[in-house]
Amino acid sequence: MVQAQRVGDRPVATEANNREDTGEQGAVLSVRDLRQVYNVGKASEFEAIHDISFSVQKGEFVCIVGPSGAGKTTLLRCLSGLLRPTAGEVLFEGRRLDKVPDRLSVVFQDYSRSLFPWLTVAGNIAVPLKVAGLKDAERKARINEVLRAVGLGDVGRQYPWQLSGGMQQRVAIARSLAHQPDLLLMDEPFASVDAQTRFDLEDLILRVRVEYDVTVVLVTHDIDEALYLSDRIVVLSSSPSRLRTVLDIPLERPRNQLTTRSSEQFGKLRTELLKLVTE
Amino acid sequence: MLAGAVVLWELASLTGLLSRTSFPSAWEIGIKFVELIQSSYLWIAVGQTFAGWAMGVGAGAVLAIAVGTLLGRSRFAYASVIPVVEFLKTVPTIAILPLVIVVLGPTMQMKVFLVAWGIFWALTIQVIYGVRAVDPVVRDNARILQLSGWRLFTTVTLPSAAPYVATGMRVAAAVGLILAVIAEMIGGSAGLGLNILVSVNAGPTELPSMYVYILMTGLVGIAVTALFTVIERRMLHWHESQRNLREVGA
Amino acid sequence: MTTEKVFAKDKRQRSSPSRLAFVRFAKSAWRAWFFLALIVVWWFVSLNSTSTFFPPLSKIMSTFYDLWIVGNAPSTVLSSLIHFAIGYTISGVGGIVIGVLLWRLPRTSTAVSPLLYFIYVLPAVAILPAVAAIMGYGSEMKVTIIVLAAIWPTLLNTLDGMRSIDPVRMDTAKVLHMSGFRTVRSVVFPNALPQIMAGLRNSLQVAIIMMVVSELIASTSGIGFFILDAQQRFAITEMWTGVIVLGLIGSVLTLIFVAIERVVLRWYIQSRAVEKNS
Repeated sequence: MVQAQRVGDRPVATEANNREDTGEQGAVLSVRDLRQVYNVGKASEFEAIHDISFSVQKGEFVCIVGPSGAGKTTLLRCLSGLLRPTAGEVLFEGRRLDKVPDRLSVVFQDYSRSLFPWLTVAGNIAVPLKVAGLKDAERKARINEVLRAVGLGDVGRQYPWQLSGGMQQRVAIARSLAHQPDLLLMDEPFASVDAQTRFDLEDLILRVRVEYDVTVVLVTHDIDEALYLSDRIVVLSSSPSRLRTVLDIPLERPRNQLTTRSSEQFGKLRTELLKLVTE
Repeated sequence: MLAGAVVLWELASLTGLLSRTSFPSAWEIGIKFVELIQSSYLWIAVGQTFAGWAMGVGAGAVLAIAVGTLLGRSRFAYASVIPVVEFLKTVPTIAILPLVIVVLGPTMQMKVFLVAWGIFWALTIQVIYGVRAVDPVVRDNARILQLSGWRLFTTVTLPSAAPYVATGMRVAAAVGLILAVIAEMIGGSAGLGLNILVSVNAGPTELPSMYVYILMTGLVGIAVTALFTVIERRMLHWHESQRNLREVGA
Repeated sequence: MTTEKVFAKDKRQRSSPSRLAFVRFAKSAWRAWFFLALIVVWWFVSLNSTSTFFPPLSKIMSTFYDLWIVGNAPSTVLSSLIHFAIGYTISGVGGIVIGVLLWRLPRTSTAVSPLLYFIYVLPAVAILPAVAAIMGYGSEMKVTIIVLAAIWPTLLNTLDGMRSIDPVRMDTAKVLHMSGFRTVRSVVFPNALPQIMAGLRNSLQVAIIMMVVSELIASTSGIGFFILDAQQRFAITEMWTGVIVLGLIGSVLTLIFVAIERVVLRWYIQSRAVEKNS
């Protein structure tokens, strides 16, 4: 319910412009004139991202969409501090990113590679907790708590690869939430699971972000998914990626796979977004 | 199958196909085997060979993992040292044997040093490859999860490198045993290798015991190989190659 | 596309391929510094060495020149290399042929494999005195020893490599109506080749070891005998030159092998590189 109110409070969709007002106040993440060029000075020089600016407010759910090959993953790597941008800057909670910050977490698409296969489910979730220096008992309690939160029961002693794809991605989400980050970045997190599981996981992430009071930025190529999840959608152009527009999604919350997706408003937004992406 | 081979041997020996002076009959070898297996003499030799092998492989492996991990971390160190390591890897261990023998004499240290040297270079290269072959997605995750230092090494680097290290170790175990036997046979260090040589030099009457020692060396080889297969299966049970094995087995 | 990009491309195209190769060589040549530094360190540390076992490198080099460059020591190596060449060829060819035959006869190979693996794990040196006792101390014994030890890695790797063929590939061969021989030649064998090469490389190392060991145990010629003889005369500097020569022989043989392997497995190495990048 909190979510629905906040959506209502925000100003209506601004017109498409390449430079969105980067409201510094309360922004969890702000991106200013970000540019990423690979192989600078070589024959294979390639510009992936061209001067992108936008910001994400606390508690927001923002999706980044764009045609395939639009440098979405590159952008996400810059946002997380894994990749240092060629020019421009990324501010996380007001501070310039030079490494991956403590209060930030990432869920990758390929769960089979991002979960450590040599550790059990509980062992995987324990890693960030150990880094944070939690005591044994506290750690166990936290592991059980996040496992419950992502809808997994007693799988702590199993290995990730013994679970189904959807369950593995739940474990990855649990691991990223375990140390209670402020910002969760997700790189096509549901692209490797089947359609039904995908719906379940979308609802899961909408639920846990309220429970954990976490801001989410999710990269996807699926515009339906972006519409269903987002408060706002950052639309990128094809390579080199530029900011095409930032679209507000005033769909009511809580959302429901059936009613939300079949609503008239959803259909209109969908057409609008599809135009923006394919143009 | 093994029983068949033994019967075949016995028949060949009885019919004179195999000359009795070089090949005693399976029966004679069997008697000698039972006799020797009850004497401490055989078991001491087995123990000496095994101890030299274990210490050499242990020392070589610890050093190789330490050096390989350090080198694998830095591109500069890796690029500088790799030509030396690659060159020394191709130098047959047997080349330094005479040197080691004159410096250390027919001792246990000589055997251990030879085994450790013999496995160190190839294993170091395996460790470097392993450390450098960490999946980029895993590396990103390690950074996201704020892993660093010793925790990074034990949680991510070592498990990722483990399949490479295991392959290297399996080869090292086999090579190490050959080198231990060579050190005994040529360097005169006590153990199964020396016993084989002594029995040969003692003349035809001791031939059955020579075959017993050879057989025993083979059994140690099987034990060592089996040991490493078991260790690998336990340590790498999470790895794809082992998972598949289990599925096939089930 | 930016103007800088076009310009950068032009600059690249102007330099000739041979120049590029030189640049690449110069770029990786710096890697040799550590190697050279080690030799320099060895030279100066050992300069005033009075240790019997570690003579000055300068002295080793001058003895090396006397014996191996102007002297007639190289002729002793020839017999070793001949034994090696014959033994290694027989092991390589024999290993592959027997491996393929065993693959064609799955029943026999299941029956024989425990025995094969037993002989494989049996340290080959252990049977050396037995072979010497039976065959005497001639060339036949040395070649036999090399073959008996070096055939196994090739044989077992060939068998494993042929067995591990992807069933889909076999089905493809059937769908394409390939004959049995053609299937082996153009599907199974290339598929197993990386592993066969790994086996041959293993066999190479074993063959070099056995070449020397056979001479150390029972011989009056060859590089192994040269080293042993020097050691027994306590001519440590001469022994050092032998050790260096043996090291070089090992390195050169391995390098030749690697060069051949690069050509034979070109498709495999390149496909792996593509996989890694994607």
